[in-house]
Amino acid sequence: MGALTAQIVRSSLSEVLGTIFAVAAGIVVLELVLYVILKRKLQWRFSLPIMLVSPALIGLLLLVLYPILYNILLSFSNMSLRRFTVERGLTYGFAEAWNNLKIIFSEPVLKQQKFFPVLFRTFLWTFIQVFFHVTIGMMIALLLNRPMKLRGFYRTLLLFPWAIPQIIAVLAWRGEFNYQYGLFNLLIQKFGGQSINWMSDPFWNYVAINLTNIWLGVPFMTVILLGGLQSIDPSYYEAAEMDGAGKLMGFRLITIPLMKPITTPAIILGVIWTFNQFNVPYFINQFELETSDILVTALFRAAFEYNRYGFASMFALIIFIILLGFSLAYIKITKFSFGFDKAGGGTPLQAVGE
Amino acid sequence: MEQNSNVIISGFKWFFAPRRRSDSPFKRMIIHIILIALCVAAVYPVLRIVSVSLRPGNRLLSTSLQLIPDDATFESFRIVLQKRDFLLWIWNSLLITITTSLLGVTIASISAYGVSRWHFPGRKAGMIFLLATQMIPAAMLMVPIYILSIKLGLVNSWRGVVIAYSVSSVPFSIWILKGYYDTIPVELEQAAMIDGTTRLGAFYRVVLPLSTPSLAIAFLFNFTQVWNDFLIARIILQRAEFFTWPLGLQRMQGQFQTQWGEFAAASLMVSVPVMILFQLSSKWLISGLTLGSVKG
Amino acid sequence: MKKMMLRSLVLLLLLLSAAAVPVFAGAAAEPAEPEAVTFSLWTQEGESEGVYQWIEALADNYMAADPNVTIEVVRKDTEALREDFQTASLAGDPPELLWTVGDQAGPFTAAGLIRPVDDLYDVSKFVESVVMDGNTYAVPISAGNHLMLLYNKDLVSKAPETTDEFIAAAKAATKGDTFGLVYNMTEPFWLVPWLGGFGGKVFAEDGLTPTLNTQAMIDTLQFLHDLKFKHAVTPIESDYATMDTLFKEGKAAMLINGDWSLSDYAGVLGDKLGVARLPKVTATGKYPAPYTAGKYFMVAEGVEGPVLEAIEGFIGYVTSADIQNEMLETFKRLPGLLSGLNAPAITVDPILKGSASQLAVGTPQPTVVEMRANWDAMKPEMNAVLSGTTSPADAAANMQSAAEAGVRALQ
Repeated sequence: MGALTAQIVRSSLSEVLGTIFAVAAGIVVLELVLYVILKRKLQWRFSLPIMLVSPALIGLLLLVLYPILYNILLSFSNMSLRRFTVERGLTYGFAEAWNNLKIIFSEPVLKQQKFFPVLFRTFLWTFIQVFFHVTIGMMIALLLNRPMKLRGFYRTLLLFPWAIPQIIAVLAWRGEFNYQYGLFNLLIQKFGGQSINWMSDPFWNYVAINLTNIWLGVPFMTVILLGGLQSIDPSYYEAAEMDGAGKLMGFRLITIPLMKPITTPAIILGVIWTFNQFNVPYFINQFELETSDILVTALFRAAFEYNRYGFASMFALIIFIILLGFSLAYIKITKFSFGFDKAGGGTPLQAVGE
Repeated sequence: MEQNSNVIISGFKWFFAPRRRSDSPFKRMIIHIILIALCVAAVYPVLRIVSVSLRPGNRLLSTSLQLIPDDATFESFRIVLQKRDFLLWIWNSLLITITTSLLGVTIASISAYGVSRWHFPGRKAGMIFLLATQMIPAAMLMVPIYILSIKLGLVNSWRGVVIAYSVSSVPFSIWILKGYYDTIPVELEQAAMIDGTTRLGAFYRVVLPLSTPSLAIAFLFNFTQVWNDFLIARIILQRAEFFTWPLGLQRMQGQFQTQWGEFAAASLMVSVPVMILFQLSSKWLISGLTLGSVKG
Repeated sequence: MKKMMLRSLVLLLLLLSAAAVPVFAGAAAEPAEPEAVTFSLWTQEGESEGVYQWIEALADNYMAADPNVTIEVVRKDTEALREDFQTASLAGDPPELLWTVGDQAGPFTAAGLIRPVDDLYDVSKFVESVVMDGNTYAVPISAGNHLMLLYNKDLVSKAPETTDEFIAAAKAATKGDTFGLVYNMTEPFWLVPWLGGFGGKVFAEDGLTPTLNTQAMIDTLQFLHDLKFKHAVTPIESDYATMDTLFKEGKAAMLINGDWSLSDYAGVLGDKLGVARLPKVTATGKYPAPYTAGKYFMVAEGVEGPVLEAIEGFIGYVTSADIQNEMLETFKRLPGLLSGLNAPAITVDPILKGSASQLAVGTPQPTVVEMRANWDAMKPEMNAVLSGTTSPADAAANMQSAAEAGVRALQ
């Protein structure tokens, strides 16, 4: 039935490779069209970069544009299980959108809890996570950034959580929070403590979720920060030392500011990924405690368990807007420039190119 | 109080002092102990999966903290390899992952060059758009992508997944590749162009070879993303012959019952390719993952 | 090294172009027989119980008998099946036939996604099915899915008749690392049988209004609370995997679990496995009433013509006496066909006998959409009572308000 046969190998190989080739051919055609229009006809000086960027741009638009538009359409509807089709009472309009908005902010998002407590918990969750990812990541990066024996060995092991498929890691962690059999309670008992209700106690469940995600997220941050640390020229520290600055001062005056171009995007990405992290809060929260839900898990339950399609789409838009607002504000505050101010290239090279 | 914080600060100073050739043996020992503890924390949950996979019968749980059970057996591994369609899942996963990762990195490497080297209008907006694609809650993509793939006839075929997977990691890849290109001095390309090559020739001969670390990391990232994907696979690949491993593993779970030993054994085996890849790319991992660059 | 990477990229592109030729050539050569009928069957039966493989075999047999019919069997997780069926219907291309749990008929009929099946089988010959507005919406495959009392004969000699005996037996068996009773303390599915035993129901007479804040619910929660705190016969926390492991390891004397697990435990425990009705609640003199549901066929709205005929044929095959009997013997699941319930196997086999005896006092699981609100309302409060953080009375009141909010959200 589902065994690996030569037939299946052949057909999958030819379909996959064929599609890849078709995509490649599509890109070539696209480039030719752009070349003729932009370069030959319009003689635009940015025709080459536009040609370079367009495959990614068009591919991404294909992937996300339809879902986003569909989402917006649904958020302007009253769609639910009982109003599944137009014949069964599904309607679209501004009144429906307004109604969805009103429900989100005035009524419980799930059972008892309203929007703002869940939002607050999501903020808290994101803050805790990014804080620990960056501090623990920085600590490990500093330790690994010293010449010593076994460095490569440590690095390999410390990256383990990243290499394990996330869902499997999460299920393994959930097992460790088991009351009888989990590692944590067994350890607590060994030291004479009182076992913890990790699954049913709202506070401890929140702790469990946070612990799991810290474990999952630190390696990525470590690698990014370590990359930054290694590219700092040691002469900076030597100069600072000669000026009489201590080690801590060096860390504050040299490491932190120099790392900013790295930490800023890492923090932005970290916030976005954590805010939208689904697997950990959903699967560790085995008892479906409402107190452990963050916005995206609440959204999932509203959309798929209660089938409130219109409501959930509006909810998703709100999450999107919150994240976009945060990112733009953070970029503004940190004056993050995407490296554009110094990107060596631009104009001088252009002169050579043309 | 004052005293206290001074102690803490000096301890901190002592500890994190960057690159000292003459650390005392005691300090080195402390550092090794801390690192070993962290490594144990990082690896331990995985070891527990190993332990479950070696347990005979169908037990997920055990009160013993022993990692290798006394009655350890490879039975679960044997069942997964021989009685399940595991090899098919792995073949499908490897095929789709390797091909789409190569295509995705190719697309990203070209686009990132455009973003890195030209001040074309809309460039910053483009970078924010890339970031914005990460902000859409995944749960909200499921229904529209499903509907789209039914309408386009992509269900139960590889075409839809190839397209979706090829671009799904492009935003992140462009970010790190652009960051890396930014660190390569333009003068190198200019020199090559004076020697008579074209702009794209300079990119191909100078920039790309120098960017191996970050190309490798972009590939690694694409690979793990696609390898672990469940969301899109579940929607499009419904027939058993198309199953990738996340779908196969999911099918091993019953409504209430799961053969945990087999599940754990399969989990370990599917982690191997990613670990190998991590190991192979480890020398580039630190230098290649550039979200931005340190001026220095 | 870097050069090599690039070279291999170019090589790959060349390979791609070579590989693309057969794709486009192959796409056109699909032979199309005019009379051929294809339909998809989605099921949520798992592989680990072996039922999924059995369904595939049934489909293969049927296809062998009727070469014009092609059945594509797709397995989905229970929840995924519901979500994906809804989405596929939205896109206008749902699978034609479902083999799934009965309560999904609620959402599907609410959204108008499945068609009545009165014309596809003889309703009078089968157990009660999902009836709404005078139409039957599902064909019973198996009856049951009900919880019952399982016990380890090494630890409990005889099944208790009343809850007093039950508690006494559990206390006697609880010692060391052995528990008198284990059950899934995280799921309200394990709570509702006792609610019935204490004389309560989750819905009012209209079948739509939640009635969770009742004395019966408080008594039920108190009973479960006492089992853990007063009598101390259950583990502190126990989900499905925990209770399952404990019972298999012989560290639990009694277990409450469903008919789907019977063949598995019979394999592990052999003759030591006892199966009986849940004991009568001493205070009320009533038997606990576990939900019964079973598995059903449902047919997507709009299916007609030759496809519908093929589906009718396949349904007829699976619900025939032979196949129903095969299911009974292989998986210890009681058949949906009434005549199958008189099969000699049921009276002879002690396991099936216990299961059938439990089924007799079960109550049909509500299939209305509102049940979702009830489940979600009961789950956290049941957990709160069992962790000792909420009193039964408060929990019952919270359940009610949560369920009412859930019902509103479903409107």
